[in-house]
Amino acid sequence: MRVDVVLRYVGIVMLFIAAFLLLSAGISYFNNMDSAFYPLLLSALLTTLLGIFPLIFVERQEQLTTKEGFCIVVGAWLLACVVGMFPYLIWGGEFSLINAWFESVSGFTTTGATVLNDIESLPRGLLFWRMATTWIGGIGVVMFVLVILPSMGRNKLTLTNVELSTLAKDNYRYRTQTIVRILLGVYVGLTAVSMLLLKLAGMNWFDALCHAMSVSATSGFSTKNASIAYFNSPAIEWVLIFSMMAAGLHFGLIFATVTGRRNNLFRSEVARWYFGMLFFCGFSIAVSLFAADLYPTFSAAFRGGLFQFVSLFTTTGFATADTNQWTSFAIVLLLFGSLVCACAGSTSGGLKINRLILSLKMIRARLSQQQHPNAIIRIRLDGAIQDREALYSVPVFIVTYLLLILIGTVFGTMLDVDLMTSFSGSIASMGNVGPGFGAVGSMDNFSALPAAFKLSNSLLMLFGRLEIFGLIQLFFIKWWR
Amino acid sequence: MTGLRKRVTVGFLSIVCLLFFSGMVSFLELSHLSRDTGDILEANRRNISLAKEMLDAAHEQNVALIHYSVFGDRSYDSLCRASQERLENMLSIAQHEAVDKSFLDSLAFATTELRLLTDSYLAFADVERDSLALDRGETAGSRWYNNEYEALYVRLTAAIKNYMTSTQSSLAPRAEQMKKNAYRAVTPVLISLVVMIAIVLMLYYFMSIYCVHPIVRMNKGLGDFLTFRIPFTVKGELKDEVLELKEKIDTLIALSKQTKF
Repeated sequence: MRVDVVLRYVGIVMLFIAAFLLLSAGISYFNNMDSAFYPLLLSALLTTLLGIFPLIFVERQEQLTTKEGFCIVVGAWLLACVVGMFPYLIWGGEFSLINAWFESVSGFTTTGATVLNDIESLPRGLLFWRMATTWIGGIGVVMFVLVILPSMGRNKLTLTNVELSTLAKDNYRYRTQTIVRILLGVYVGLTAVSMLLLKLAGMNWFDALCHAMSVSATSGFSTKNASIAYFNSPAIEWVLIFSMMAAGLHFGLIFATVTGRRNNLFRSEVARWYFGMLFFCGFSIAVSLFAADLYPTFSAAFRGGLFQFVSLFTTTGFATADTNQWTSFAIVLLLFGSLVCACAGSTSGGLKINRLILSLKMIRARLSQQQHPNAIIRIRLDGAIQDREALYSVPVFIVTYLLLILIGTVFGTMLDVDLMTSFSGSIASMGNVGPGFGAVGSMDNFSALPAAFKLSNSLLMLFGRLEIFGLIQLFFIKWWR
Repeated sequence: MTGLRKRVTVGFLSIVCLLFFSGMVSFLELSHLSRDTGDILEANRRNISLAKEMLDAAHEQNVALIHYSVFGDRSYDSLCRASQERLENMLSIAQHEAVDKSFLDSLAFATTELRLLTDSYLAFADVERDSLALDRGETAGSRWYNNEYEALYVRLTAAIKNYMTSTQSSLAPRAEQMKKNAYRAVTPVLISLVVMIAIVLMLYYFMSIYCVHPIVRMNKGLGDFLTFRIPFTVKGELKDEVLELKEKIDTLIALSKQTKF
């Protein structure tokens, strides 16, 4: 493996992050040069230096190996998280080393969990940087660079294969360059539409921009301590429900629907399951909340229940209510939503609904196979026959995913964190959801939890974002021939 | 400047820039910290000096009023007013300079209260009748002093003392802020050092693979050629001047093979 080549491409990603740091410093400058200006400017300079250095020595390479591709993508993610904590550390306040790392990882992995007790005390420049980390991470730090760089030849394909899962590429029938452009186009479009709608619903421009960036990335970072509950506005909640639902869909489906192509939203089996689960679970939660007298009217219960379920199911993590106070039935459904999560090919994390559908179909196929031993049973998803490789990867992914949650939970309880907090915190971190239950509920945060628990959860976030095997490969890179 | 020299120069310049940069940041932050410390000490000294001036003015006014009210000496009228004005001047300076004005509220209230009382006494008191009545024992002036003025005077001096001590207690949060500033002064330098270590390691790595290793391999290849007549080959990717050197050695070897001595 050519380490110098890996360093060159990671360096390009660093330059890209430095540009966003500079943009945040610009916002800080125009906001009466608030206290985040120097930390952001310093961080931008340091990141630029770090990124530009390999470019001086290493020339552009025509061909990357898959191994190098893995190292570039994982290395870029890890280094992005490291440089992402520079402005937090320099600014100080509530950010210790562990807190800054947690906040940075939570941002880039679009988890949206926080360690801050007083978000509103942050200067605007730093608030924007938090949102920028999450927005970059939403589509993938490397994907952004792939769109911006004019020509990377076959390297684009290698890096896209690592950054995007097979499931995520399912709905596309285009060249890699086109896929990457569609992804970014839909992403930027979704952010712009959400921002305009939020502004119309009553937010100021800055909050609208920040929340639009957060919702498009399905992150859940907010500029307010009480998250969306602060605004106390049904219009804002409905806009966010719409935006979260859209961000949880396969971006290829959104593109096909908007451009009037055949393989659109209305023909998609995955989309039918997605919307079906959203409304069924949202409605069930609303009935449960209304029956328990937690809301005065059914419409309020429906709005609250749907918002919270959509928020967790799409791994966004915004909050309008303290879900710790909800019924056990509602909590179980929300935990289920945090586990399964939205569609592949979106910015959300988690197991993905595609894998749930495939698992159910595999169970049905297994039953049919036992009844008809000689039958050749094919499993289709959205009309496409799934090959053996794709089907084999589903149970392996699910088992590894659940195993990591179990390890995270056991580790948390070892640190004397209560079972609910540890379990739901691990689910929320692994699925990049953000809030869990117990001490990490929708109105709480990770600040009071032990540092080791914060570190283990930030590792789970990275595992979840890199679809587990991307990060695991890094530990076995030496033996990879 | 091209090739290897350019890369090495740019690499070292980056390190120099980073060193300069981290040095400047630490210098600026530490100057800032030093200025903050100086400001706190200066504010502390100034506060004590103002409080002393106020106590002196209040004491002077008190002595003047004793002479005026108890002994009926009208010449102390101007001294009384002058000291009162001095007290108010000191108060307005303190109000102007104070960062936390909450400590001055009770002091300003006590000063105004005393001023109103003194002004009304100075305007309406029949001092001459009082001075004639002095020999007969207690006068109206001494009664006024004992019953009305003294209590307010004690309240004023207590407020001045409170101002002096409470501003001292306000040093704790400022010291806490300085602690944070010290953290802020150190963090950029530490981060710069971490980045510098990363850059030095990268420079070492790049120098190794682009400069040191090729030269070592060329040296070995040349040695093998001269000792064992093994054809001169250098494995790995070469660039810049190192590649030129290798090509020149190849040419030299080819020339030496052609020339018959």
